[in-house]
Amino acid sequence: MLVVVCVKQVPDTTQVQIDPVTNTLIREGVPFIVNPYDTHAVEEALRFKDRFGCRVAAISMGPPNAEATLRKALAQGVDRAVLLSDRSFGGADTLATSKVLAAAIEKLAKEEEVGVVICGKQTIDGDTAQVGPGIATRLNFSQLTLVDRVDELDLSGKKIRVSRKLEGRHEHVEAPLPVLLTVVRELNRPRYPTVAMRLESADAQVEVWDNKVLQLDVNGIGLKGSPTWVSRIFSPERAKGEMLGDGAHDPEGAAQLLIDKMLEKDLLAL
Amino acid sequence: MMPQTAIFTTLLVASLLFFCWSVYRRFSLLCYGQPEERLDQPARRLAEMFLYAFAQLRVLRKPFGLNHFVIFWSFMILALANGEFLVNGVFPSVSLALLPEGVHRALLLAFDAVSLLTLFAIAFSFIRRLVVKPPHLDSLYVKGRSPEAFLILSFIALLMLAYFGLHGSLIALGMEDPSAMPVSSLVGSWLSSHPDLIPALRNVSWWLHAFVLFAFICFLPHSKHMHILTAIPNCYFGALAWPATQPREKFEKGAVYGVGTVERFTWKDLFDSFTCTECGRCQAACPATITGKALNPRQIVHAIKTNLLENGDALREGRSGTLPLIGAEGEGTNTEDAIWSCTTCGACMEACPVLIEQMPKIVKMRRHLVETESRFPEELLNLFENMEQRSNPWGIAPGERAKWVSTLPVKPFVAGETEYLLYVGCAGSFDSRAKQVTVALATVLNAAGISWGILGKDEKCCGDSLRRLGNEYLFEKMALENVELFRQRGVTKVITLCPHCLTTLKNDYRQYGLELEVVHQSELIADLIRSGRIKLDKKDDSLGKIAYHDPCYLGRHNDIFEAPRTLVQAATGVAPVETERHGRNSFCCGAGGGRMWMEEFTGERVNHARVDELLAQKPDTICVACPYCMTMMEDGLKDKGAGQVRVRDVVEVLAEGLLRKNA
Amino acid sequence: MTDAVKPPKKPRGKARLLENKCIACGARCQSACPVDAIQMNDAGEPIIDASRCIGCVKCVKVCPVQAIEMAFTPEELRILQELAASSAGAELSEEDAEEAALKKKLAAYSGVWVFVEQTEGEAAKVSWELLGKGKELAQARKCPLCAVVMGEGVEKLCDQAFGYGAEKVYLMDAPVLRHYRTEAYQKSLCALVEKYKPEVILMGATGLGRDLAGVVATVLATGLTADCTGLSIDDKGNLMQTRPAFGGNIMATIVCDKFRPQMSTVRPHVMPMPEFDPQAKGEIVREPVPVVEDQVLVKVLDILMDGGGSKVDIAGAEFIVSGGRGMMAKENFAMLQELADVLGGVVGASRSAVDAGWMPPDRQVGQTGKTVRPKVYIACGISGAIQHLVGMQDSDVVIAINRDAEAPIFEVASYGIVGDLFKIIPALTNKLRALKAARSKA
Ligand SMILES: Cc1cc2nc3c(=O)[nH]c(=O)nc-3n(C[C@H](O)[C@H](O)[C@H](O)COP(=O)(O)OP(=O)(O)OC[C@H]3O[C@@H](n4cnc5c(N)ncnc54)[C@H](O)[C@@H]3O)c2cc1C
Ligand SMILES: Cc1cc2nc3c(=O)[nH]c(=O)nc-3n(C[C@H](O)[C@H](O)[C@H](O)COP(=O)(O)OP(=O)(O)OC[C@H]3O[C@@H](n4cnc5c(N)ncnc54)[C@H](O)[C@@H]3O)c2cc1C
Ligand code: SF4
Ligand code: SF4
Ligand code: SF4
Ligand code: SF4
Repeated sequence: MLVVVCVKQVPDTTQVQIDPVTNTLIREGVPFIVNPYDTHAVEEALRFKDRFGCRVAAISMGPPNAEATLRKALAQGVDRAVLLSDRSFGGADTLATSKVLAAAIEKLAKEEEVGVVICGKQTIDGDTAQVGPGIATRLNFSQLTLVDRVDELDLSGKKIRVSRKLEGRHEHVEAPLPVLLTVVRELNRPRYPTVAMRLESADAQVEVWDNKVLQLDVNGIGLKGSPTWVSRIFSPERAKGEMLGDGAHDPEGAAQLLIDKMLEKDLLAL
Repeated sequence: MMPQTAIFTTLLVASLLFFCWSVYRRFSLLCYGQPEERLDQPARRLAEMFLYAFAQLRVLRKPFGLNHFVIFWSFMILALANGEFLVNGVFPSVSLALLPEGVHRALLLAFDAVSLLTLFAIAFSFIRRLVVKPPHLDSLYVKGRSPEAFLILSFIALLMLAYFGLHGSLIALGMEDPSAMPVSSLVGSWLSSHPDLIPALRNVSWWLHAFVLFAFICFLPHSKHMHILTAIPNCYFGALAWPATQPREKFEKGAVYGVGTVERFTWKDLFDSFTCTECGRCQAACPATITGKALNPRQIVHAIKTNLLENGDALREGRSGTLPLIGAEGEGTNTEDAIWSCTTCGACMEACPVLIEQMPKIVKMRRHLVETESRFPEELLNLFENMEQRSNPWGIAPGERAKWVSTLPVKPFVAGETEYLLYVGCAGSFDSRAKQVTVALATVLNAAGISWGILGKDEKCCGDSLRRLGNEYLFEKMALENVELFRQRGVTKVITLCPHCLTTLKNDYRQYGLELEVVHQSELIADLIRSGRIKLDKKDDSLGKIAYHDPCYLGRHNDIFEAPRTLVQAATGVAPVETERHGRNSFCCGAGGGRMWMEEFTGERVNHARVDELLAQKPDTICVACPYCMTMMEDGLKDKGAGQVRVRDVVEVLAEGLLRKNA
Repeated sequence: MTDAVKPPKKPRGKARLLENKCIACGARCQSACPVDAIQMNDAGEPIIDASRCIGCVKCVKVCPVQAIEMAFTPEELRILQELAASSAGAELSEEDAEEAALKKKLAAYSGVWVFVEQTEGEAAKVSWELLGKGKELAQARKCPLCAVVMGEGVEKLCDQAFGYGAEKVYLMDAPVLRHYRTEAYQKSLCALVEKYKPEVILMGATGLGRDLAGVVATVLATGLTADCTGLSIDDKGNLMQTRPAFGGNIMATIVCDKFRPQMSTVRPHVMPMPEFDPQAKGEIVREPVPVVEDQVLVKVLDILMDGGGSKVDIAGAEFIVSGGRGMMAKENFAMLQELADVLGGVVGASRSAVDAGWMPPDRQVGQTGKTVRPKVYIACGISGAIQHLVGMQDSDVVIAINRDAEAPIFEVASYGIVGDLFKIIPALTNKLRALKAARSKA
C-alpha cells in the first residue's frame, strides 16, 4: 500500500514584516520552508511506514525550487518524491490546486494502491485549509480533517479510527479506507533526519511531472481553472503595544478599558 | 643451581609471562580504536610529560596529592631496589654491591629512607579511605573502600615491611653494613636480642618480598593500578592545546558519525580509560555530578574501559560487542541521560591528574546520538530547527537582529573603514537583558574611540551550542556560511560579547582556515584601561560588594581570568571577592554545552548550586561576563529569594562608571 | 474622402515589474501571459522579457498587488498623448458574446444562504452572526436571506434562524444527519444548491464549516474563500471577500466573478451578533434527504467535550491566562482559573511558577515548555524573559499585566496594564462575568 503526503513550500510568514512607511510586505531575505503542518503529515506517514511497512510518496505542486521541500521529506525517510511543476499550474486557487494534486495521486495509484493521503490542516501562506477536502472529493476518498490522533489503522479490515480536534470538543470517528486525513500539529513530533538520510536525500531523485505527464485540460488548472482571484492585497492595521489606563491607581478603570478594547476587537467569546 | 634460585626463577618467569600476556591482551585492544595524531612535537610532549607525570603538577594541586607524590617518587627509587632484588634472585652473584662503594651506600640510604616514607604514606592512605572517606572516592561501580584498593595498599605496605625485615636480618647477621641503613639497622638491633628469629625472618622476608612482587606484577594490569604503566605515556600523548573545541567530521555517504560503540573511540580515548586512576577528582569537580545528575565523568571513562574489555573478544573476532556503550544503566554502559547532562564546562579535564580528556568523549557520543540515531531531548528539536531555519536558537526573525541599535547610532561593518567587527551574538541581539549589555558595550567602545561596526541582520549564530550538542552536521553548515561571510566582508578583527562566540570564532573556525583576531570585550577593554584610553576617576561604590563568577568558556576554556576582574577593579576601585571555586576551578553556571536549551529535570539546579556558592560571600552584586551566566544567575537568585542581589556584566559596571564620570 | 491618414497604431507598451511590490503570489502573472514572456526567479518574482512582451496587459490585470505596470518609451508616450488629444474617448464599451453568456449564467443564481452549524441540536453562534451580515448582503443584492438547517430533530433551530433575520429556512431533518459527517452533509447541501441556486453561501470558518465548504465547493466546481473577516458587494454585484493570509500579515480581497454560488467561510466572533426578534416568522421549506445510512460509511463513535476530566492541553487552547512569579503563591492561581473559566480558556505558567510548584510542568510555556498560539494570551506577573517569549509570541493578541512598566513583556504585548495584578485580575473577572450574565439574559 502507498501512503501519499502532500507538502507545500511556503515563505516563512512569521518572518515577513511590513514596511512601516510604505505599508507593504518586506519579503527580502524571507526564506522558503516546508509548510509546518505538512511536516507532521510526513511524520504520520512515516509512522505508518514504520508500523506496517507501507511505502510513502510525497508530492508537491510548485515552482522548480520547491524541490528543496521534497528533499527534506526524502531526508526524513519518504520513499518517493514527485514535484508537480508546469507553467500551466501557476496561479492556481484551491480548486485548481486540488485538481492537479488529485490527478497526480491517481497516477501514482495506477502503480500501487493508495490507501491513505495525508495533508496538513492548512498552509501558513494561503491559510485556506481547502486543498485537503478538495482532493478527497475528487478522489472520492473518505475525509477526516483536523486529526490529532490516529487510534488505529486496520489495513486488512480497511478502516481507520482517529480523533478529530474541533472547537471545544474531540470527535472519535471511524472511516473506511481509502481515506484522506488533514492533520494538526498536536498529532505528533516530527523526526529529525539523521546525517546519513540527509546525504542520501541530497542526490536522491525527485521526479518532476509537468502537464505532459498529467495530461489535464489547461482550462481546468492554474489561473484559468481558478474561480477565485485576488483582486487586492493590503496590510492590516495592527495593534502593537498599547498601554491601557492607570492600573496602579485605578485598577477597575484599567480593567474596563481592557474589556472595551477586547469587545472592540472582537476578542471575547462570551 | 640452588633450589631457591630455581623456584624464584620459575615464578618470576611465570609472573612476567602472565604480565606480558595480560598487557598484550589489553593493549592490543587499542588497535581497534580509531587513529588520532598524538605523536607530533615530541619536545613539547616530553616537557608536558615531565611536568605532569614526573613533577606531578596536577596531583599536587590537592592537599592529599603530596601523599601520592611521595608514593610515586618512592616507587621510582625503589624500582631500582626491586630490580636488583629480582636480578639477584636469579643471578645471586649480581647485586648493587658491585657498584662503587659510595654510590652503593648512597642508594642504600635512599632505599631505606624512602621505604619508611612510603610506609607512612600508605598509612595515611589507609586512614583516608577508612576514616576520612572522601565521598568522591566512590563511584557507582568503583568504591573507595574496595578490596582492590586495600589489596594494593597492603601489597605496598608488605613490600616495605619485607624490605626492612630482610635488611634488618642481614644487618643482624652482620652481612650488611648498618651505617647506610638507619631504619633497617633499627630492626637489626632489635633482632640482635632475638637471635633465634633471625634466620626465619630473613627467609620469610625474602620470600614475602618475592611473592608480593610477583603478585603485584600479575595483578597490576588487571587493576586501576595499570595507571602505573600508562600514566606517564598518557601525559606524553596528552592534548597539546586545551581541547575547547572538537575535531571536524567528514560528511560523506557511508561514513559513521560520532561514537556509538567503543571501537569508534580513538586509541587515545581507549588509552585514557586504561589510565584512569579512579581518583575521583573529576567527579568532585563536575557540576553535573555534584548536583545529582546521572553523569559522572569518571564513570564515563570507567565505562569505556569496562566496555572495551567486555567486548574485547568480540572485537578480536571481528564481531561487534554485545555490551552496549550507550544504553540502560549498567557497568560498561553510559546512559543517554548522563551524556546529555554535561555542560562541557571542562572542570573534569582541569582536575584530572593524568590529563584524561573526559568531556570530548561525551561530545563524541552526543554526535552519535544526534547524527546517527537522531535521539535527543525533546527540547532540542526546536533549537535545531530554529538554528537551521533562522540562524538563531530562539527562532526569532533574523530581521530583528539589529533592533537593539534603535537607541544609539551604530555603523555597519565595512572593511577598511571600521577596524573591529562587533559580533553581537544571539543573546546580545535578542535577549532583552543581554541587549542592555550590548548597549553598555557600545557605549564603552564609543567612549574609547574604537572604530567598530556590526553585520546587522546578516549576522548568524556562531553555532556553539550545536557543536557542543553533537550536531556537527548543522554546525559545519553554519560555520561554513559564517566563514564565507567573514571572508567576503574582509573581517579580520572581532570583538565578541559572549564567551561562546569567542571560543567558536577563535578556536573552532580555525579548523575552517579562518584566522581571526578575536577578543572578548573584557580583554579589549582591560587593554584600553591599561593603555589609558579609558580613564575613570570617580570610583563607583553603588554596587556594593561585588563577587565575580568566571564563565567556563571565558576562563577555563580560553584563559581569560584577569581582564574581567580588571574592569571591576577599574570601575569600583576594589577587586571583586572570590568564591571558593574560582578562576581555573570555577564552577559552571549550568548553561554550557547546550544545556541552555534543555530542561533540568533531575537533582539540584546547577545555577542554584552556583548561586549558593556566590551568596556565601554575601555580595550585593554578582558580576558575570557571559549572557548565559547572566540568565542563570538572575534566575537562580530569584529562585533562591535573593532578588535583591543584582547581576551585572562587567562591561555594564564599567559603563556605569563612565556615565558617572561624565555626569 | 481625403487620403486616409493612417492613424498611428496605439502603442501598447511593455510590461515592467515595480520594485518591492511583488509578493510572490504563485506565478499568476506568468500563467496569464499568452506569449511566455515571463519567467519566475527563485524568489518567486517574475522576470519579464521585454522583447517578447506584446503589451496585452493581462499580467497587469491579474497581479493582486499592482506590482506590474506598462512602460512606454518617450516616443510612444508622445503618440499616446496625440491620440488622446485627437480622439477623445472613442472607446466603445462593446459587450462581447462571451460576457453576455456569462451574465446570463450568473443571473440564474439568486439569494444569500447561511448554513446553520449545529452540534447535538445546539447552533454555533457564528451562524447567527452570519445571518446578521447576510442580511446586509441580501439587501444590497435585493434578494432573500435564507438559512439552511440540517440535522435530526432540529426544527426548533428554524425559529431561531427567523429570529436572527432569515426569511426562509431550508430544512433537512433525518437520522442520517444526526452527527455531522462530510459525505452525508455534502450530498444534502449540494442537492439543495443545485435545486435552488443561491448566489452566495456563507458558513462559519469552524472545523465543521471548513470541512464541509471545501467539499461542496469542489463538487460544485465553484470558488471558495476561506476564513473571511470582511464581506461586501461591489458595483458589479460580486461578493468582495476580505481575509487575512500570510499568517495575518496581509489582508486579501478575493472575488469569484465568473462562478456561482460564491462561497465563503467566515471567522467566528468577527461579524456582530444581530438583534434577536422572537416574533419574526418565515417560511420553512422541507426537503427530503438524498442519502441513506447505508451509503455513509463514516461512523462517529463518540464526542468528548473538552475541559471536564480530560487533561488540559495548553498547546491547542484559544485563550490562555498565564501566571508567573508575580502570582506569589499557589493559591493565587485560583484567581487565574476563574478568569480563564469566564473566557473559556486554560491556565498556563512561566517556568518560575512551575519550579515553585504552583503549576504542573505540562502548563509551562516557553523555550523548554510548550509553544502556544492562542487567540488571546494574558500574561500576569510574568516579566517576559526571552525563554518565555519564544513560547507565546505567535499568539494573535498578547495582554500583559505587570506592575513593572519596564518589564520586557510589554515589548511584545498588544495591550498592557501596569499595576497590581491582585487588584486588576479580580476586577477583570467580575466585569466579564457581569457582561456575560447580561448577554445571556438578552
Ligand atoms: C493572499 C492569498 C489568498 C488566497 N485566498 C484563497 C482563497 O480564499 N480561496 C482559494 O481557493 N484560494 C486562495 N488562494 C490561493 C491558494 O493559496 C492556493 O490555491 C494554494 O495553492 C493552496 O491553498 P493553501 O495554501 O491555502 O492550502 P491549504 O488548503 O491551506 O493546504 C492544506 C494542505 O494541502 C496540501 N497542499 C496545499 N497546497 C499544496 C501544493 N501546492 N502542493 C502539495 N500540497 C499542497 C498541504 O498538505 C497543505 O497542508 C489565496 C492565495 C493568496 C496568495
Ligand atoms: C534553560 C532554561 C530554560 C528556560 N525555559 C523557560 C520556559 O520554557 N518558560 C519560561 O517561562 N521560562 C523559562 N526559563 C526561565 C526564564 O529565564 C525566566 O526566569 C522566567 O521566564 C521568569 O519567570 P517570571 O516572568 O514568572 O518571573 P520573574 O522574571 O521573576 O517576573 C515576575 C514578574 O512579576 C511582576 N510582578 C510581581 N508582583 C506583581 C504584582 N503584584 N502585580 C503585577 N506584577 C507583579 C514583576 O514585576 C516581574 O516582572 C528558562 C530558563 C533557563 C535557564
Ligand atoms: S565537562 Fe563539566 S559537566 Fe561535563 S563531565 Fe566534565 S565536569 Fe562534568
Ligand atoms: S578520569 Fe582522571 S580525574 Fe577522573 S577519576 Fe580518572 S584519573 Fe581521576
Ligand atoms: S503584458 Fe502581456 S505579453 Fe507582456 S508580459 Fe504581460 S502578459 Fe506577457
Ligand atoms: S502576479 Fe504580481 S504578485 Fe504575483 S508573482 Fe506576478 S508580480 Fe508577483
